[in-house]
Amino acid sequence: MVLLDIRDLDLSIARGGELLPVVQGISFTVEENETLGIVGESGCGKSLTALAIMGLLEGSAVRIAGGSIHFQGRNLLALAPVERRRVMGERMAMIFQEPMTSLNPVYRIGDQIGEAILQHRRMSRKQVHERVLELLDLVRIPDPERLIDSFPHQMSGGQRQRVMIAMALACDPKLLIADEPTTALDVTVQKDVLELMHSLQTRTGMSIVLISHDLAVIAETCDKVAVMYRGRIVEHAATSALFSNMSHPYTLGLLGSIPAHDQDVEWLDAIPGRVPTLDELISGCAFHPRCFAAKDSCRTVDPVAAAVAPAHFVRCHFPQGNST
Amino acid sequence: MSVPASVASVFRGRVLATAGTCWLLVVGIAAVGAPLLAPFDPLEFDPFVRLSEPGWPHLLGTDHFGRDSLSRAIYGARMAILIGSGSVLIALVAGGLIGMLSAYFVRLGHFLMRVVDVLMAFPALLLALVLMTLLDRSVLNTIIVIGIVYATTTARILFGMTLKLKRDVFVDAAICSGAGHASILFRHILPNLVSPMLVQASFIFAFAQLQAAALDFLGLGLPPEVPSWGNMLSEERVYVTRAPWLLIFPGALIILSVFSMNLVGDALRDNIDPRFKDDIAGV
Repeated sequence: MVLLDIRDLDLSIARGGELLPVVQGISFTVEENETLGIVGESGCGKSLTALAIMGLLEGSAVRIAGGSIHFQGRNLLALAPVERRRVMGERMAMIFQEPMTSLNPVYRIGDQIGEAILQHRRMSRKQVHERVLELLDLVRIPDPERLIDSFPHQMSGGQRQRVMIAMALACDPKLLIADEPTTALDVTVQKDVLELMHSLQTRTGMSIVLISHDLAVIAETCDKVAVMYRGRIVEHAATSALFSNMSHPYTLGLLGSIPAHDQDVEWLDAIPGRVPTLDELISGCAFHPRCFAAKDSCRTVDPVAAAVAPAHFVRCHFPQGNST
Repeated sequence: MSVPASVASVFRGRVLATAGTCWLLVVGIAAVGAPLLAPFDPLEFDPFVRLSEPGWPHLLGTDHFGRDSLSRAIYGARMAILIGSGSVLIALVAGGLIGMLSAYFVRLGHFLMRVVDVLMAFPALLLALVLMTLLDRSVLNTIIVIGIVYATTTARILFGMTLKLKRDVFVDAAICSGAGHASILFRHILPNLVSPMLVQASFIFAFAQLQAAALDFLGLGLPPEVPSWGNMLSEERVYVTRAPWLLIFPGALIILSVFSMNLVGDALRDNIDPRFKDDIAGV
């Protein structure tokens, strides 16, 4: 069953009286108990997409210019704020990149998780306490009885991210959005947290949208992958299909940027240049100035998404995969 | 850490703050026990002992009505604490609400903070004078006026801090868990403002003393019969050459108390924030 269905989502940022598009025509679906990975460089619109789903763009300069976000069949963008709050936390939750700042510094972590529970459930103090202990145990915090009374600044980054996950899971959400949940963590802790998320998913049957710039993390954890570049999905496929048949030069570039431990190379095949800023107008394909396969038509004609295999879409005139 | 131990740690190595606290305790005891401690009735005239020098039975002398200075000073401690806590309460509640709501609801803030800006354009004492001339001289009005004067600075400070806090990720996390505006403001943002508010409170408490004394001195504050340190200064100022002790003593009380409150405020600021504490869980 489709849990989350995003269609033609357009986000724009108001700057100097004009609207600059930051996310254009994004569409994807997330099935129940499925993990979708969204990957791309900084500034390609991954996080904004997540914020739009959670309704956190309110009060920022970014506007939702078009499209729809359906969650369990209901269009979130059409819900009244009160209705929307009922969905958030209870059925969808989010964990953030920065475990250092995403916990309220003056709350003991037990109270903080309890707050998330009480937002949606009527429980006695004792029941909340039991539930918090259960959640801390679930996210494998050692000695929860003792740590329940500690402040965030007394914990390590990995512990805080676990607490954050416990908070997100407080009401058994159906969808968990994880915006770079491991980026700020140590590599070994990264692995633990990812494994934890995976095991929790198997246990609760929730769906996950995992946002990362690390293709290796995505490869390990996701069922489907959407590669984003400059506000657009440039390649979208099941993980196995994507990795066996990478078609967009940008996806190949991302893969080439990962150092391999068994090869001794002088230089990595990084993607030249940088993500263009929002106000740089680029004719044709937005990636052509950095693309190794760019030809004349790339400079003039913007490619449309086309299937190179069943359920494998690529937005490129010259897909690189083995089907061409 | 147990509560007594954490209280003890506030004072460890802080001689001045400890001394300040002791002095404030003395003032507090004087205020509470005034009827028991004061040797005379602070309002009782005795024309036979006008302007007497410090000695027995009037330890600190008498004023030009023959009222006992020590008794008036002891009752004055009551006024000091009443005015201090009253204006702190008004300043924190009014200023806190204005600052937080203005920062949280941007449109409302455009309006409210401009009003605050206009009020802040006047020097504190001038603003208090203007407001006092519109009102009768009474204890309650003095408290309200001083409260309003310091509500403006409190609003400014909390406005800035709320602006920063509302962009913090933990507020986003709270929204994500389904928290509404009231819950975000009062359960997630307000607890982060408690320490700056406490520090602010200690300074307002101190400045309220100065402000009240100034108003009393200018004859616009408390009604003249009310025993307060400011009134004592104000009424006896013409006798500064004949009976200087009548001015030195209440003046010293004001200075000592304000200084003590500032010292305690500094100590509070250093200690109250959990982020500045150095104990680490699991160590």
